[in-house]
Amino acid sequence: MKKKKTALLLVPALALGVAVLTSGPAFAATGDASYQGTLDSINGSKGSGTFSIKVSGDQATVTETVSGLAETFSGNPYPHVQHIHIGAKGVCPTPAADTNGDGVISTTEGLPSYGAIGTTLSTSGDTSPAAGTDLKVAGMGGSFTYNRTFTLDAATAASLKAGTAVVVVHGLDPTTLTKAAQDAKSDLVPSLPLAATSPALCGSLKASQANMPKGGVQTGGGSTSSGADTGLLALGAGFLVAAGGAVIVRRRLAARG
Amino acid sequence: MLPAPQVARVVGPILTASEPTQINIPAIGVHSVLMQLGQNPDGTVQTPSLDEASPAGWYTGSPTPGAIGPSVILGHVDSRVEGRTVFYRLGDMRPGDEVLVTRADATVAVFVVDRVEEYPKDNFPQFTVYGNIDHAGLRLITCGGQFNKTTRTYPDNVVVYASLVSSHAA
Repeated sequence: MKKKKTALLLVPALALGVAVLTSGPAFAATGDASYQGTLDSINGSKGSGTFSIKVSGDQATVTETVSGLAETFSGNPYPHVQHIHIGAKGVCPTPAADTNGDGVISTTEGLPSYGAIGTTLSTSGDTSPAAGTDLKVAGMGGSFTYNRTFTLDAATAASLKAGTAVVVVHGLDPTTLTKAAQDAKSDLVPSLPLAATSPALCGSLKASQANMPKGGVQTGGGSTSSGADTGLLALGAGFLVAAGGAVIVRRRLAARG
Repeated sequence: MLPAPQVARVVGPILTASEPTQINIPAIGVHSVLMQLGQNPDGTVQTPSLDEASPAGWYTGSPTPGAIGPSVILGHVDSRVEGRTVFYRLGDMRPGDEVLVTRADATVAVFVVDRVEEYPKDNFPQFTVYGNIDHAGLRLITCGGQFNKTTRTYPDNVVVYASLVSSHAA
């Protein structure tokens, strides 16, 4: 009994901390799932992007940002069809996948790596494989954000869980290709050039380690106004503004106390 | 059904999951118990109350400190009532500084700072901060930049990135 009392006395501060808890449901306990991947350049595209998908029941919410892709096609915003491919190795193809040697990994040549279309990431309407080459519901232009909630089919859901889902964003700038590849027809839609349907970005989706919250963090009340050390630092010349808005601390102006 | 896959490559030490109870940062004099923080209904991360002597808090949607992935600990830079608060000096941290997190399993996870960055809240790089990684990482987050007296907010977030290097008994 005495021992127990001592133990209790040791943790008053901790107990106080626990007493004010207003924690949300633990990530693992909600039954929801979240997957993510970075979208990396393929076939020499200059693009990049990030992709996350939260699954709650049969509803999936995608948050995607893409930049650096081909901007125009015949004078109009370039339609970048995009899909979640499923059911194969769950990886992005390497240059070895270019079996016909034309310098482009076509969508077909990539299939052994990432599999067939499970979900079309269309901007409206049908999200099934049937909408896979509908240019009207593609991501438009060189940079776009895609945020959509839709009903997730069972096959894509299973592939996400198995870690074999891969996002592929299609559509290359033809001027970056060899002459032969520029003249080649699409392996999917013969009326289109090969460039239009070939992969430009690829990212394997894996279970998220952290359930990504939205936006920044409101961690200041202002009682010290501009007095915070971080504020003083920001006023000085000790920051380098990098592309994308990140400010990197190169050296500290304030001496360490 | 196959289990959810983990990131294939793992760099450095990894601890089994155990919830954090306390954080100590000798370099900036931080000694705080840790509360637990979830998400607000709008999907943003909860923060401790501004009107209390608030401790720092672990974001329960992130891995426990020492487990693989980006473990997130938040603290206010200041409050309305108390002046300087727990993470007031976070922006003073520099690479090599130690961060000690005590866990419920009576281990102390020892992290070393890799880098300190500052981001505008309206252009917060979620994947960089919260995205999957190949090691047991820690992100300490507070507010930064010039306080806006009209909106009573700071425009930026300061994020300290650290990696697990070792652990010992508490």
